[in-house]
Parts: sequence; structure tokens; C-alpha cells
Amino acid sequence: MVKYVLKRIGYLLLTLFIVASITFFLMKLLPGTPFNNPKIPAAQIAILRKQYGLDLPVWQQYLNYMVGIAHGDFGESYQFAGQTVSYLISTRIGPSLQLGVQAMIIGTLLGILLGAIAAIRKNTWVDATATIFAIIGRSIPNFVFAALLQFWLAYKWRLFPIALWDGFSSSILPTLALAMAPLANTARFMRTEMVDVLSSDYIELAKSKGESQWQVVAKHAMRNSMIPIVTIIGPMAVDLMLGSLVVENVFAIPGIGQQFVQSITTNDYPVIMGLTMLYSVMLTVVILIVDILYGFIDPRIRLSGEGN
Amino acid sequence: MADTKENLQLGPDAFKHVATNTQAQEKIAAPSLTFSQDAIRRLKQNKFALISFWILVIIGIVALLSIWFSPADPNRQHLAYTHLPPKWGNLNIPFINGYRNGIDMYAKNGVPKGTYFFLGTDYLGRDMLSRVLVGTRVSLFIALLATFFDLTIGVFYGIISGWKGGTTDTIMQRIIEIISSVPNLIVVILMLLVFKPGLTSIILAIAMTGWVTMARLVRAETLQLKDQEFVLAARTLGESSTKIAFKHLIPNLSSTIIIQTMFTIPSAIFFEAFLSYIGIGLPAPTASLGTLLSDGQKVLQIYPSELVFPAVVIVVLMLAFNLLADGLRDAFDPRSDNR
Amino acid sequence: MQPAVAKSVAKPTDNGTVYTYNLRNSKWSNGDDVTASDFVFAWRRTVDPATKSQYAYLYSGVKNADKIMAGKAKASTLGVKALSKDKLQVTLEHPIPYFNTMLVNPAFFPQSEKAVGEYGKKFGTQSKYLVFNGPYKLTGWNGTNNSWKEVKNPTYWNAKNVHIDQINVTAIKDPSTAMNLYQSGKLDDASLTGDQAAVAKSKPDYQGVKQASTFYLELNEKKIPAFKNTKIRQAIGMSINREEYIKKVLQDGSIDAPNVTPQGLAQDPSTKEDFSKEAAKGYSQYTQYNPKEAKTLWTAGLKEANLKTLSVELLTDDTDNAKKSGEYLQNTLEKNLPGLKVTIATVPFKTRLSRSQNGQFDMVMGGWSADFPDPITFLDLFTTDGSYNDGKWSNAQYDKLIEQSKTTYATDAEKRWQALIQAQQILTKEQGIIPIYQRVQAHLVNPKVQNLKTAPGGSYNFVGVTLKK
Repeated sequence: MVKYVLKRIGYLLLTLFIVASITFFLMKLLPGTPFNNPKIPAAQIAILRKQYGLDLPVWQQYLNYMVGIAHGDFGESYQFAGQTVSYLISTRIGPSLQLGVQAMIIGTLLGILLGAIAAIRKNTWVDATATIFAIIGRSIPNFVFAALLQFWLAYKWRLFPIALWDGFSSSILPTLALAMAPLANTARFMRTEMVDVLSSDYIELAKSKGESQWQVVAKHAMRNSMIPIVTIIGPMAVDLMLGSLVVENVFAIPGIGQQFVQSITTNDYPVIMGLTMLYSVMLTVVILIVDILYGFIDPRIRLSGEGN
Repeated sequence: MADTKENLQLGPDAFKHVATNTQAQEKIAAPSLTFSQDAIRRLKQNKFALISFWILVIIGIVALLSIWFSPADPNRQHLAYTHLPPKWGNLNIPFINGYRNGIDMYAKNGVPKGTYFFLGTDYLGRDMLSRVLVGTRVSLFIALLATFFDLTIGVFYGIISGWKGGTTDTIMQRIIEIISSVPNLIVVILMLLVFKPGLTSIILAIAMTGWVTMARLVRAETLQLKDQEFVLAARTLGESSTKIAFKHLIPNLSSTIIIQTMFTIPSAIFFEAFLSYIGIGLPAPTASLGTLLSDGQKVLQIYPSELVFPAVVIVVLMLAFNLLADGLRDAFDPRSDNR
Repeated sequence: MQPAVAKSVAKPTDNGTVYTYNLRNSKWSNGDDVTASDFVFAWRRTVDPATKSQYAYLYSGVKNADKIMAGKAKASTLGVKALSKDKLQVTLEHPIPYFNTMLVNPAFFPQSEKAVGEYGKKFGTQSKYLVFNGPYKLTGWNGTNNSWKEVKNPTYWNAKNVHIDQINVTAIKDPSTAMNLYQSGKLDDASLTGDQAAVAKSKPDYQGVKQASTFYLELNEKKIPAFKNTKIRQAIGMSINREEYIKKVLQDGSIDAPNVTPQGLAQDPSTKEDFSKEAAKGYSQYTQYNPKEAKTLWTAGLKEANLKTLSVELLTDDTDNAKKSGEYLQNTLEKNLPGLKVTIATVPFKTRLSRSQNGQFDMVMGGWSADFPDPITFLDLFTTDGSYNDGKWSNAQYDKLIEQSKTTYATDAEKRWQALIQAQQILTKEQGIIPIYQRVQAHLVNPKVQNLKTAPGGSYNFVGVTLKK
């Protein structure tokens, strides 16, 4: 097991190295400078470029950049003069993580519930409603959904704060907006799993032992259907990252998603590179943890993983 | 091959004779069907999937026909008629009577009698109905083409990786691992920053990132098929790998490919919408569902109709594709017999 | 113009090259005195290339500034001297008639040497690494967040006229979110998009803030030789219905621009007439919508250029206004000028800037805001070797007039004015650039907020602002 984890971490580092290199050279292909002020004359720009080390040959810049990354230094933001990318991310990651975790928890819990109900009442109107609801959750683009939530729940009915990041209450609407994707995914997945489990032999056995349907579901079916959900945590994390770009923008939340969108429109390459690396690290780590977790839950996976 | 021998000790008294009805045994309850016939039969039983299928066909035909029969030129500007609400002839039904906040916007803007915009007009006075039609067509076009590329890359990558095995497989899997460790949205964004923004680069960007899932599924299936008798037989008979791939593998992979395709199309539509929202979508004045939605979202509270119509179209499209994909998966999956 | 930390607006001596400022007694927010040497320190620090200031170029014209920026002289040789604790002397290379007006730019503000030394590299990166001598102190800004507070600074010299104790500022990108916050009373001032402005126009809390920014089309004469033809440029200028465009597309109350120099920027030294209005007299027909004349000019121009058709790409950025403007211009130009084909390229704002500067465009919608209130801040752009003359329009007489305004007529206000007016008229007649509109920023402002003034550059002045109970 230890050997397997170490090997995986080795691959992870290799992956990140390649990602960093590719992003670096992609960014070098693009126009753009650290200079915010459009009015700087060309002669002055030449001087500033030297100050920023942008006049060096590309391979030397690459070396500097990679050495920097190894020390956790992603350079300075072009947009926020004098702020390092690492500092920028450290001040902004809090709200994003909080929203992500909240959305993940709420989304999965509600999704499990919805999926389970649909499976138990299979092929009835309950099932149909739950299925349609889950699909609609994925069918409305989240920038539309977030704007609707804000308009109705916050502006018209004044149930929640409209926007900004100011305490827990202001995180409710963005969490709901974000939770739709994991909710829909979990619900559909849960339904399929649960239907399988409910028609399996041991459930029949439990039923034949005279346990009520409620007992069967609570004691056996729920637990066994929930385990495979671990496998979709990775893709859900990706969905959440994508969603946060939009939701943070609509609700004016100072998180990394909003920062990413802003960096794109302002050509803030160091921040784009830093955030790309961050997203990759988060995703690979999530996948690694999921794999390890799953190895513990289901020994067969561990064995085949080691054999690979 | 693999025979399991169980160590059971049962005496003759453990069995009792059951009367057999040979006639009943011989009777075939259902007509004999090929696999695809069976799948179609099952699909037809799924009401949602069937309705979805026909909705998609209708949307596709309407979007296609609008190339020749558009109610108006979707890019024709009418600055005198900007932001008109929907109006359906002289019907006096709220929301489609040309009134906004109790004012007849058509009269206020001096629109001649007999001129109606069924879905209203946008910020340059362009006919929304025509724009929604062309937008649907463009979005579908992007999604279908991106899916086609992603299917081609994914299927071949998966087959080669699974079929060759060994070092080739290991290297190809490592590459997939690296690609999938960057969220594909980020890859798309990076690519759009490097290439000139436009239809082609959006299609390529979506295709380049979408094939990974397909490749994984195809590889897994190929690994299984590889050891099956009919493939072994073909191999023994000396057929080339290419021929085996086309004659034996792809037909047997078709259900996986079809299902995955049905899931990829809606996510490509979604992606395009998302890219428009963050400002790196299609260049103006081309309409797509994405550009219509992101323009509409900005004026949601002032001119809701400009968001509602494209939103309805995208929701219907997504619903239909997803329900159809679900139906197909159930239809192709023999396990789902009893569902 | 009003003096702030100076006791009065200084009159130049030595043929317009030496300015001596008497400073009033005032303190930094940490209790130290604001002295002339704080200015000397700040100015030297800003022009020093090691500081990497992106506004250092504004100092060009102060003695030795250009040499220091190029690394050919030490920062200590800059033409600024503290004669005593409260006497500051500035020496220029050559007379700059608008030098006093330039000093309103924050790049010329003082910096506390003690604070910069104490905070070192961190100076200015967060609100806690700053000291203030203005009406408000910045708090709660960690360098990267989108909201912060301005708290009244008791050591400000004019603190008795500061009536509001705290101002909360938030940057909100989504316009509907800002509107919702304003309407539910969470904000007292929100800026609006054109669509929002069109609806809010009739409300009592609507305000249009006229800015000293002009937006115009630049035609790349280097890349598209046809744009060298004056008739073709004039045809484009006359085929845009600015009135309709502003009313229907922008909707934010912007005003059409007959000249590149915006209204309200400068006044005639003798008649007090507005520069832009004076320059437009007799020249307004070049920016007047006249499709018939445009077509005639266009056909003649194409013939002279030996062309039947012309295909160009219009470069715009992805901001809301720019996108709409691009679509509108494409449509109207193609409609009025037969044989013209316009495609639109939309890129992020900053990419648009760098592509304009590198000449990678056919036609681009750009804008310029005044750095200081003098027409030269606009007219200087379009000389043959002007660094922002992206379209590379060139006119010898124009160049000569601009040069004269800086040299021969530098100390003669009346003659200088006439030279600038003439230059502006040449630019308009030739349509070297095609002016479209002067921006007005639409706001909703809580009626309780009174006396809020905005500088032409768009910055607020909260001194003297009161809240009605």
C-alpha cells in the first residue's frame, strides 16, 4: 500500500511538472505584459521589461520560473502590482474552499436522498419527478440559475443577502447555486446503484427474514449503494471548480474562481499559471485520496491498482 | 475454460422430481430479436426517451430549415425597435401582447401595425426568434462537430491503447492521466487564449479535452473483447489488426460509443454557453445559445424575455439529450431488463 | 483649480521653467509633518527605474527625468529640491504651460520617507503598509480583496470639511448584482450599464457623470493602404449616425464627439469658450451623419485607391459597450459604404491594447482619458511619431503646430491656444482618427448624498460631501 501511494505521488509530481512546463510555454506565445497602465510609452516599457527579467532568453525565464515553483514562488501578479501570486491565492482561497465543501456536502446528501427515494419508488411518478428534477439541475446554465436565485430569493423575497462575502448567511445562495451539479450527479448515480442493490440476493434474504422495507433500506441498501459514490467525487470536484468561476462572479465573492475569470480578461498570466497549477494539484490530490479511500473500502481495487 | 468445482455432498434424497411440461419449455415467449432490435424495442418502451428523441429531431429540423426559412435576417439591425417585448399578433395575453410595465412598447417605438416579433427584439433591434433559431443551429453544430472529433480521437486512442497493451498502453495511459489532471475547462480556456477566438477554435478546444473519457471507456471494453473467442479466431485466421478493429471491435463497442456520445453533446453545448459568459465565446455578431444567454443574463431584470427564450431552448435540449442518453444506456444494458 | 497641500497655485519663473511651492503645515496619519523633502523623496523614488513605477513617464519634462528613467543619470539629479521644510522647488527642462494641472495626478503626491523605509518592499501593498495625508485612510485592504473601507483621517489639513466618517467600497463585476444591492439600500452609489441607465434615466437618483474620455476609431494606414486616402476616412466619419448610436446602443447619456478633445476639458484663455466647441465651429460636418455625402466620398476614394471592394477587420474588446459598438459599427458601415466588408474580432481588453500598440489591426475602437486638463493630452497622441498614433496618420502641418505649441508659443497662452485649435481642426477635417463619443458614466446615487463631485478622470472628491438626514 505504501509503495503504491509513493508511486502515485511520484506520478503526480511528474504530471504537475509537465503541466507547469506546458502552461509556461503557452503563456509565452501570448501577447501581454505586467504593465497595467496603457499609457506607458514604448521606451519606458523596454526599461520596465528589463526590471521584470522579461528581456532574458526564454529558456532562462523558464528555468527561473521552474526554480521559483519548486520554492512555492509563482512570481508576481501583473494586475495587482507588488502582490505575489502565492499571496493572492492564499487570501482568496478561503471563500472558494468553504463554498466548495458546503456545496459538496449539501449536494451529495440531497442527491443521495433524492436518488434513494427514486430507486425505492422505482417507475412511479415519484421516480419520474426526481429524475426530471435532477436533470433540470444540470440543464440550466449556472450563471442563469445563480442570477435567478439572487433575483427571487434575495432581491424579491429578501430571504438571504444579495451578494458579497459577509458571514455564513451570505454563503447560502452561492452554495445552493453550486450544489446543483453535484446534487444531480449523485442523485442519478445513487438511483442506479440502489436499484441494483435492491434487486440483489442479500436484500431478498433480508426481506425474507421479515425485515420491513424501511429497515432493509436503512440497514443494507443505503450503505452499500453509497460506497460507489466515492468514485464520482473526482468529476464532481471538477464541476465545482467550473461552477465557482460563475457563481463567485454573480455573487461578488472574493474567491479564486472570480480571480481566474478576472485574470483571463486582464491577461494576468502569472495568476493564470498559478491557478492552473492549483486546480491541477487539487484535482490530482482529490483523485489520489479517492483511490486510496476506495482501496480501503474495496480490496479488489487496491490489488488491481498495485498490479498496474 | 474456468470450471468451478464445488464441494457439495448431496444425497439422492435431496432431489425430488418435478413434472416437466416440454411444450411450455419449447415455447418462446418473445420474438427472437437481434441485439440492436432488442435495444430499439426497449428504447421504445421508455416514454421519456422516445419523446426526447422526437423533440430532438424536431429541434434539429427546425434549426436546419431556418437556414432557408428564417423569419428575418438574424443580423439585421433595427435601432428604432430595440428591446421590444414579444408580441403574437393581436392576442391580448400577458407577456406576449407587446406590453411591458403596462406600456405598449410597440406603439411607443412607432412600430407599424402588422409588424410583430414573436420573441421580441434584442439590444440592436434584431429579431429574437431568428436569433434563437440560428443560435440553436450554431450551438448544435459546435456540439456535434466537437463530439465527432472527440469520438474519433477517443475511439482510436482507446482501441490502440487497449489492443497493443504493454508499454504502449502504459505510456498512453500516463498521457491520459496527465491530461485529465488539469480540469478541462482550464485547458479550453488556455487554448482559446492562444488561438484566435472563433468557431473553429472553440470546436477544437472542446474536442481536444473531451476525448479522454471516451478513450478510457473504449480501452476498458477493448481489453475485455480482446480475449473473447471471436476476436481470437479472427486473429488466428491472420486478419490484420486494422481489419479486426473495424470488423469486430467497433461494432461491439457501438453501444458504449453511442451512449457516451449522447452524454458528450449536451456537455459541449453547456461548455459553449459557459465560454460565452466569461467572455471568450463566439465573436459577434454570430448568435449561439451561449452568446444569447450571456447577453440575456445581463438584462434579466429589465428585459426578462431576452433570457427566457434561449434558456428554455437550452433546458429542453439538455433534458432531451440526457433523457435519451439515459434511455439508450438502459436499452443497451441487459442488466436493465428488469427495471 | 484649488491648492491642497500647497498654500497657493505657484506662478512659474525663469521663463516658465521654475516652480516654487509654499507648503502648508500638515501631518501624515502617523503624526509626522508633511515636508518638502517628502515630495523630493517621492518624486525621486518614482522616476528611479528600480522602483518599476508604471507612471514614471508622467515626469518627462522635469529636469533630468528622462535620463534617470533611461538609467543614464542618478535619481538624485532630478530637478526637484527642498529649499526648506515647507518650500519645494521644481526645475523643468523646458516650459510646460500645463505643469500645475499635471500635479493633480497621484503620481506626484508625497511619500513619507520614514514609512517607505520602515515597510520596505511591503510599502503600499496593503492598507496597513501605508500612511496617509489625504481626507481618508484606507483600511481593510489586504492587497487582493475587492472591498475596503475609507475611514476619515483626522490629521488631514482640511479635516473640518470632511463630514462622512466612513465609506465602504466594493468592486462588483456583475451589473445586475450591483443594481440589486443599490435598490435594496446596501449601496449608496452604483454605476450602471447602458441598458440599466435607459430604465433608470427617469429616476430622481440618476446622475450622468461626464468624463474627459473620448472614444474613436483608428484606421491602420500602414496595414490598409486605402486608409491613407482622406476621402475614404471622411466617408467612414460621415457614415456613422452618432446620435442614434448613443441613444439606442450606448443609452448611458454619452455625448457625440465632434473632436477628439472632449468637452469641459479646457477653456479659451480670453473668451472662456470651451476648446472642443470652439474647434468644432465650421468643422462639425465631418462628424455629422450624412450617408449621401459619405457614399460619394467613398466611391471617389475607392476609385483613387484603385479598389472595387475593401475588407477589413474591426478589433474590439469584450467589454459590454465595446461588443455592442462593434456590432453596430459593422452594420452601419457595411450598410452605408457599398463594397466594404467588416468582420469583427473580439479579444480581451488588454489584448486589444497590446494589439493596437503593435499595429496588429485594420480598424480599432479605442479610447483615451485625459491625464491632465489640457488639450495637449489628446492632441499629442496623433503627431507622426506619437507613441499612441496606432493608425500612423501623419500630417506635417499638424506636427508643426503641436511642436510650436510646446516651444515658440509655450509661454504665450493666446497663441498657443490658437495653434492647438488649428491642429484640432486639421485632425478633424482629415479624420486622422474618427471621433465617436465622449463618455458619460451613468450612476444611481442615493439622494441623501449631497455635494459629491467627480473629477473629469472619474475620481470622487468626498471633501465637503454631506449626508442629508
